[in-house]
Amino acid sequence: MNECRKNIPQSNLESLESVLAEYAAIPGSLITILQKTQEIYGYLPKDAVYHIAERVGAAPAEVMGVATFYSQFRLVPIGRYLIQICRGTACHVNGSERVAAAVSEYLGIKSGETTDDGLFTLENVACLGCCSLAPVIMINGEAYGNLTPEKAVSVLENLREKEGAL
Amino acid sequence: MGEIKITVNGKEMIGKSGDTILNIAAENGIEIPNLCYNKNLKIYGACGLCLVEIEGAAKLFRACATAAENGMVIKTDTERVRRARKVALELIMSDHFGDCKAPCHLNCPAHTDIQGYLKQIALGNDKEAVRIIKEKIPIPASIGRICPHPCESHCRRRLVEEPLSIAYLKAFAADNDLASEDPYKPAKAKPTGKKISIIGGGPAGLSAAYYLCLGGHSVTVYDAMPEMGGMLRYGIPEYRLPKAVLRKEISAIEELGVVMKNGIKIGKDIGFDEIRADFDAVLIAAGAWSSSKIGCKGEELNGVIGGIDFLRKVNLGEIPDIGKSVAVIGGGNTAMDACRTAIRCGAEKVYVIYRRTRAEAPAEDIEIEEAIEEGVEFRFLTNPAEIIGENGKVKALKLQVMELGEPDASGRRKPVPVEGKFEILEADTVISAIGQKYDGTGFDSVALTDRGTIFADENSCMTNLEGVFAAGDATNGGASIAIKAIAEANLAAKAMEAYLDGLPVDFKKPYYSEKKMTEKDFADKEKIPRAKMPVKSPEARKRNFDSVIDGFTDEQARAEAKRCLECGCHDYPDCRLIRYANERPIEPQRFAGEIHESFVERKLVSIERDQGKCILCNLCVRTCSEEAKKGILGLVGRGFKTVIKPEFDDSNTTEFCKTCRRCADICPTGALEIIE
Amino acid sequence: MRIVIGEGSCGIAAGASKIRSAIENLLCKGENLSIGTTGCIGMCFLEPIVDIYEGKKLLKRLVKVGEKDAKAIVDAVRTGDFSGVDYITISAEDEQFLEKQTRIALRHCGIIDPTSIEDYCAFGGYGAFEKTIKTMTPEEVIEEIKISGLAGRGGAGFPTWFKWNAAKNSRTEGKKYLICNADEGDPGAFMDRAVIESDPHGLIEGMLIGAYAIGAAEMTVYVRAEYPLAIKHLEEAIKQAKNHNLLGENILGTDFSCEMSIKAGAGAFVCGEETALIESLEGRRGMPRLKPPFPAQSGYMGEPSNINNVETFANVPWIIEKGGAAFAAMGTENSKGTKVFALTGKIKKGGLVEIPMGKTLREVIFEIGGGIREGKKIKAVQLGGPSGGCIPAELLDTVIDYNALAQTGAIMGSGGMVVMDESTCMVGMAKFFLDFTANESCGKCVHCRIGTKRMQEILTRIVKGEGRKGDVELLEELCEAVKEGSLCGLGQTAPNPVLTTIRYFRNEYDAHINEKRCPAKECSALLTYSVDAKKCVGCTLCARKCPAKAISGEIKKPHFINQAICIKCGQCEKSCRFGAISVR
Repeated sequence: MNECRKNIPQSNLESLESVLAEYAAIPGSLITILQKTQEIYGYLPKDAVYHIAERVGAAPAEVMGVATFYSQFRLVPIGRYLIQICRGTACHVNGSERVAAAVSEYLGIKSGETTDDGLFTLENVACLGCCSLAPVIMINGEAYGNLTPEKAVSVLENLREKEGAL
Repeated sequence: MGEIKITVNGKEMIGKSGDTILNIAAENGIEIPNLCYNKNLKIYGACGLCLVEIEGAAKLFRACATAAENGMVIKTDTERVRRARKVALELIMSDHFGDCKAPCHLNCPAHTDIQGYLKQIALGNDKEAVRIIKEKIPIPASIGRICPHPCESHCRRRLVEEPLSIAYLKAFAADNDLASEDPYKPAKAKPTGKKISIIGGGPAGLSAAYYLCLGGHSVTVYDAMPEMGGMLRYGIPEYRLPKAVLRKEISAIEELGVVMKNGIKIGKDIGFDEIRADFDAVLIAAGAWSSSKIGCKGEELNGVIGGIDFLRKVNLGEIPDIGKSVAVIGGGNTAMDACRTAIRCGAEKVYVIYRRTRAEAPAEDIEIEEAIEEGVEFRFLTNPAEIIGENGKVKALKLQVMELGEPDASGRRKPVPVEGKFEILEADTVISAIGQKYDGTGFDSVALTDRGTIFADENSCMTNLEGVFAAGDATNGGASIAIKAIAEANLAAKAMEAYLDGLPVDFKKPYYSEKKMTEKDFADKEKIPRAKMPVKSPEARKRNFDSVIDGFTDEQARAEAKRCLECGCHDYPDCRLIRYANERPIEPQRFAGEIHESFVERKLVSIERDQGKCILCNLCVRTCSEEAKKGILGLVGRGFKTVIKPEFDDSNTTEFCKTCRRCADICPTGALEIIE
Repeated sequence: MRIVIGEGSCGIAAGASKIRSAIENLLCKGENLSIGTTGCIGMCFLEPIVDIYEGKKLLKRLVKVGEKDAKAIVDAVRTGDFSGVDYITISAEDEQFLEKQTRIALRHCGIIDPTSIEDYCAFGGYGAFEKTIKTMTPEEVIEEIKISGLAGRGGAGFPTWFKWNAAKNSRTEGKKYLICNADEGDPGAFMDRAVIESDPHGLIEGMLIGAYAIGAAEMTVYVRAEYPLAIKHLEEAIKQAKNHNLLGENILGTDFSCEMSIKAGAGAFVCGEETALIESLEGRRGMPRLKPPFPAQSGYMGEPSNINNVETFANVPWIIEKGGAAFAAMGTENSKGTKVFALTGKIKKGGLVEIPMGKTLREVIFEIGGGIREGKKIKAVQLGGPSGGCIPAELLDTVIDYNALAQTGAIMGSGGMVVMDESTCMVGMAKFFLDFTANESCGKCVHCRIGTKRMQEILTRIVKGEGRKGDVELLEELCEAVKEGSLCGLGQTAPNPVLTTIRYFRNEYDAHINEKRCPAKECSALLTYSVDAKKCVGCTLCARKCPAKAISGEIKKPHFINQAICIKCGQCEKSCRFGAISVR
């Protein structure tokens, strides 16, 4: 193993085995494997990427190429709450930009980043398809609609309070 | 496979059925620009340069990816195609962060290959360095000593700590070459039988003579002064440029076969028309030898002398009677030469009168510094209001005190008089070094510009007279530095050759990709101070005309040359991108915006990758996977943010790279470079 | 009686699941009261929706239902007396929303239980497919589709029969694939999601008919990963179909065998382009391939493949059942049948609308959608999302027809219809779409990769008030080049939102660039909030609301906004009860 491999934190690769056993031999399954991997780890650990490359017989560069092409994949772990801000057209027309700016300012992070306390990860998504509730954000799969910048911030304040109380 | 017949730009051609338009056109001598195509790789179709029009089709087609069909009529150079191609090139260039040429090269008026010769000096190959220098500068030992070196002001090393000492390194290499047993001697072309006369043997005249002589022409230089060299011989003081050095370099030119005729003044010793009649082409490089007037009362007094007139006298061997106290007016390099020469002529008190402050003075800082060391007193923010005389001779200067006002067109703050505030300065001699002008006597038929210089067409270098060309201080913009005169003369020499061959000339400035960088970009770079030129102490130098500088030691010079950052692109001669970018005018700056993060990495063994230069043609990635079967390189990310990155996890792969190098070979720009 | 809860994504987002548990909690042990589920009826503006059925008969439609309404609902069902739920019963006016539509692709949505093949079959499901494989030749199927005039509903409008025919004839033996493009990428559209969530068997049936016609033995649906419920329902439906011998070997006892699978996309708009979609299906970066070869010759895994959109397939069983001529009887000369739109934006009644081609935009927006919210004026309607354009209010009488819409500079698109009022900045709209396309460009073609980025940068500086003279012309030049030089539809159509806004709203561009003014008062960098000292009573409310602490003043004295600190959020204007704060 060379230098670059050494720096990768060693994930528990055993949990990947069932996924690889099911899909590694099926041509064209790389994206599916990466999706299942992300389901396991919450993101794509770099050593998992190398391991997958080896097992599907692809060059690591190719797997990295796929992992970085699609917006679903993350190469870094996410926070406890994944906040997805819908940037669909209906949301835009109904003022999502201001909601996004308020959330971003409140958390002090930009899209794609995670707060230092590991609580919140912010992500812009194309469209959550709840256009009639626009503007919408989704937090760990739950939709919050008809938002204003203040409402959005108060949702986050509540979550923060809840976490603080724990 | 059958044959098909297609028409490309009106030319009928036969090709193999199923072959692409790009290939068939190429086989028949029509190159359709492309940056992402390679015949050994799968077609990719990304760069958008090969778009062509096909008669009868509404949209443009990618020639690299479109199979030609029998009877197709294709146009590769229509207005529409050019437009699409122009925007493609502009877009690529707007995100291409690289220097085609180093900033020193671009800012040297003569465009000397500085990076090239510094490398040879670093390697100890002075003769090779001189060969490179002499492609642009025939008298490097002289120029290296006196050039105000705009190259150094733009040397990117200044963002690390200090610029390289380029000019002195040039002199160093040239001195070594001159002193060697076998100095560099350029090859001469076969005689052309054409006769060229050059009027004026200064840097411009000598340079044109050198290149025209090498071109096989028979060249005669006329000069009014007893020796060749022009202002280098009669303007620059001995302590900055020992005349022995200049003479050696002039002799080398003479040895090539240039005929040199001194002491001949046009219009007096020989008529201009006579010269025109005797030669196939004439270059006027007469220089600017008359001092500009101060324009104040008392200028006609005895003891008032022009700066260059004073320097000429001294250089002719006279010791002019300047008295004890001398006032030099002006803040340029001539003023510095004059004041320091005055010190050496025995003046006890020498003043420099300059209407702005030291920061605005056009003279080089080192010259001001050394003048101060030698005892010159600077009176900044003063301007002569009147020269006061006694018995027809200078007695004193009345100085108007000035202050700095608003910046003027040149960006310098404009000096304005402080009302009613004057000073009196006793002086025996007043030397006015505020400018110099061309004196057109003898060239009555040559048309002048509004500012009284010879008009020469910027492109053809020709004056209003057929076959008469002009360059140097006498021409267009007027007096400037020697290297600029040389640059103009080099252009004029090319123009004259083209004229003699009956060819048109076109000196379009090529388009270059240029980086904008700041100190921040070099924050991590190791700092190595600039080599210090050994200089004689003020006491040792101020009463004689010996050279002030002693020259670099060998060790110093090699180390200094190694400081070069090698900014210019290694791939410039072969770069396809820059070749296409220069086919027609492009304006990438209109699309200026975010660019890719630029860095140089050596993750691949034996290959250096400069991400700023990558244009994402993907050729390297494709050759690595399709031909080398390795897939070490890959695309990462999406859209504008896409980059190419190596990714591998075993040392066998890296060993493999050492010998493969396909990626570096196929890169159409300089993004990948093989390093030994 | 049966309580049926609308549990599409929209309904769930609006709180349908909470209502379900509230109702379930009210039921007594062993009480025989059935609670059913259905998908999305498309009346998003009324979600959550609860229907009460007697058999197949809809007795009551309850709208904007909350948890607190559970008791009233249960009581009503228990007693048969609906007077207690009148307050949440749909109004006659809102019923018009559905009544004015003609539903073919959406005919089962919000009516059947999407998790039950039996329910689908009870509505005649799989009848068309059975008819197809038992009584029709593939040629006859294709002929019927040809007669129907069905065209690709993904946006391009290419005749479906032609693609099927090409795929059928590409070769007679060996593998072929039928692929459904459910990578609904337009960020303002959700028709496909609704169809898959609400009527997954309808999609399977349409695909099976297509597979039979072209001779494909494998079918794949490429669904956006952002649609988990759709994937869940489709997975379930595939299982059920297999159990009913509607998928697998020797389907319904015939020679026809066909397998079906789902692949989840991973978030890339460009994968809606068919060659990019194939790359993605094969597990690679979704970068478009060069055409030719076309997918019908060499597609997925190098085999002949046919790709159609969800809505296209959803129309197929109806066409087979009722005949192509019945479908072709609807619509215009060159656009047949119906089209589904996701009507959103500043519209009163947003949701899914399916209408026959040939209706005008005005009819859709005003007669079905109920016009603009808050009594504002309509400014434009956006069709086709990032590939489409903005049609101004004065062209609202344009009919829904591929050609007529293309003439406006917009496109039919996949069905996103976003309505904008006077408070929407059209330059901001163009920037919004370029933000999107620049981010979604795959990065292959120079024109698209750098061109969309530069367009985005120019638009950004215009909305920030840093626009320069000549920027509009520069944009136009870029638009032309990006259209000409891009390989796939993404790049070729990315300039449309810019071109149409320049074409119809040039004055807004000029106002931003020359006067540094946003006529819609939306671009915050160009706004100035100020207090009218005559109207301000010094109540201090605005100062307390201001998140930037930019407002100061003594109590009962006129307040003052410090422009240097003001972040232009508009809080003060909204909070002022005296109309003392104005924006310029």
